[in-house]
Amino acid sequence: MTPGRSFENAILAGPLVLFLLAILGFPTVLSLVYGFSETSFQTLTTPQFSGLRNFRDVTADPTFWQAAWFSLRFGAITAILQCGLGLALAVYLAPLTQRHGWTVAILIIPMIVAPAMMGLMYRLVLHEFAGPVPHYLYSWLGWSPSFLGPANVFKTVIVAETLQWTPFAFLLFLTAYQSIPQDLREAAAVDGTRPWRLFWKIELPLMMPTVFVALFIRFIDGFRVFDNIYTLVGAGPGGSTTSMSIYIYETFLRRGEIGKAIAAAILLFITAFVILSVAQRLLWGRSA
Amino acid sequence: MTFKTCLRTGAAALAFMASSAAYAEVTVLGWPGGPEEAALRAVTEIYNAKADLAAENKVELLFTSRDGFFDKLQVDLAAGSTAFDINLIATYSIGRYAPFMDPITLSGEAGAVFGDTVLKTMQFDGQQYGVPTDLSLHFLYYRTDLIDALLADDAAKAKYSEIATQYLGKAMEPKAPADWTWEDFVANALYFTQSINPDSPTRYGTVIQAKNLLFNMMVFHSWPRSYGGNWMDDAGAITVDSEAFRTALSQAKMLFDLGATPPDSTSYEYAEANAAYASGQVAAMVQWNAAAGELTTAQAATATTAPPAGPDGRFTHIHGLGLGLNKAAENKEGAIAFLQWLSTEEAALAYAKAGGAPGLAAETAAKLVADRPDLVQVGEYASTYGFVMNGGTSENALSVYEAQAKEFTGYWAGTQDLDTALKNTTAAMTDLLK
Repeated sequence: MTPGRSFENAILAGPLVLFLLAILGFPTVLSLVYGFSETSFQTLTTPQFSGLRNFRDVTADPTFWQAAWFSLRFGAITAILQCGLGLALAVYLAPLTQRHGWTVAILIIPMIVAPAMMGLMYRLVLHEFAGPVPHYLYSWLGWSPSFLGPANVFKTVIVAETLQWTPFAFLLFLTAYQSIPQDLREAAAVDGTRPWRLFWKIELPLMMPTVFVALFIRFIDGFRVFDNIYTLVGAGPGGSTTSMSIYIYETFLRRGEIGKAIAAAILLFITAFVILSVAQRLLWGRSA
Repeated sequence: MTFKTCLRTGAAALAFMASSAAYAEVTVLGWPGGPEEAALRAVTEIYNAKADLAAENKVELLFTSRDGFFDKLQVDLAAGSTAFDINLIATYSIGRYAPFMDPITLSGEAGAVFGDTVLKTMQFDGQQYGVPTDLSLHFLYYRTDLIDALLADDAAKAKYSEIATQYLGKAMEPKAPADWTWEDFVANALYFTQSINPDSPTRYGTVIQAKNLLFNMMVFHSWPRSYGGNWMDDAGAITVDSEAFRTALSQAKMLFDLGATPPDSTSYEYAEANAAYASGQVAAMVQWNAAAGELTTAQAATATTAPPAGPDGRFTHIHGLGLGLNKAAENKEGAIAFLQWLSTEEAALAYAKAGGAPGLAAETAAKLVADRPDLVQVGEYASTYGFVMNGGTSENALSVYEAQAKEFTGYWAGTQDLDTALKNTTAAMTDLLK
């Protein structure tokens, strides 16, 4: 490459680099500064360097670990449920969706609703006195569970998240299922392979990369859950529905402990980065 | 359209926007939606119509969404935003916003118009940071049809006494709500709960909004306060781990455990609690005064009185919404002039007539008897029963409420015991109020 050409490239790339530095670089640097400083809303422009204190405070905070445990459980359970249901629906409904493509559009409707709106909707639908679900349960059975009470709230938010995002997993699996070469199925049929064995021995192994990707995406999405839980039940009694994102939000804006909130966000980023790297290696390992 | 035409149109639009900005130089960031916005719009019109008001001091209003309002305001103020000269403040957030605001001097009439108790809701470190525009406190809402039936029926009275003996350890007689202590409130709630008294006409005796939310702690505070509870003593020591808080928290916990409040009420806030009462399945509740219209419309037999009493007397948490001066304001002179006018009787009466709920001294409120009889009751309760906890306007008051909400709701929901809840609350408050 000639020096003149290199100069041209630099000029052409300059605006993009500057844009990225402004949009991504500045907040990153600022986050790092705040993460290692004693910062509140009063000292936004004069943060005092405090070393690792924020990280020590975060890791010594039982609420942080409670939130991490909640997010881990929530992410894992919802990812498994959504992928299990999505896979079953994709395979079971494949003949129908192949003949009538429009049915897919109906099945993915929940995914279109904003999560915050979904939370508000459930808040209304499940309300003992105003919601249709408890109303009909009382009418028919004379009893209704307290969906948002301490005993059931975790199950309720799991079900709400699963109902909304199973269509995403379904869509991924349907695409993967339909991309399996038809001649493989025909060859298996000629050999007398029964449907269950066809699925278990041929189709599922071919779909495994998609299963891993779907599990991974859904876990990450579940782990960082915020809007639907926050609008439905908030942080929960005693912080029982506090996810990592809710913890960071409340620490930052409600308690004004900006340094501590950023430190928690950095820890969350590092955790996500490690998980992403491991998952990527696993996927590469399988495809190699 | 040619490029030149586009340019001219754009320049004309910019010139129009610039002239509009010059026309309205005092920008007020108000509390959006609801009667507060309507009232603020009404008084602003009156102010802007004054013949002696300079064009550069006319007022324009700015409203954002209520969702996360105080969080957004916090960020704007901290960033030194000049988008508004005057901003909303609340009693519990004055300490947090004070570093980014300037204290103000109200009109000479302010003391007589609002009274000292209400003016104090806008003070921090002995300085006035805002004009009180709306006052919030709590009423005990109850159904007169249910209470009248109970008081008129000997068999019902006997059942009431039997339930009180079983759950509270003493035979109690039903009373008129105006004479209730918190024990009467609990006994009444148990009596009107179908799982305890199958003959109860309502499913639940009360509804306690117990979502992990700071505003719900304000509703609860009248309870421990009446037993002598406070956040801090005069020396600044945290006193939340006291017999007063223990008694109030335990009594409320009993209502959760015995199903006298809906089991979902650990996820309830204002709207859900109102919906429960409005359904006719709740006999009585303590709720914000702002709910009076809604609850009375839904249940015609609803009456209100002050919250129940404790050994130390009858109390209601009060806090005010108000308007104060942004330190970064670009037109401080104009803004101060508007704030001073807002604290006059003329403005307060106009604000009240337009739907606002200012806390007015008895003499001022008396001038509104025909238009706003409810404000007479609000003013009377505020001056007689109103309280602000020690530290309730401090820099971290909001965080204190947050900490209490987390710990107390955890206790009520059964995720932790009372000792742990109070120990954690004390630790958090010691850190926040040091």
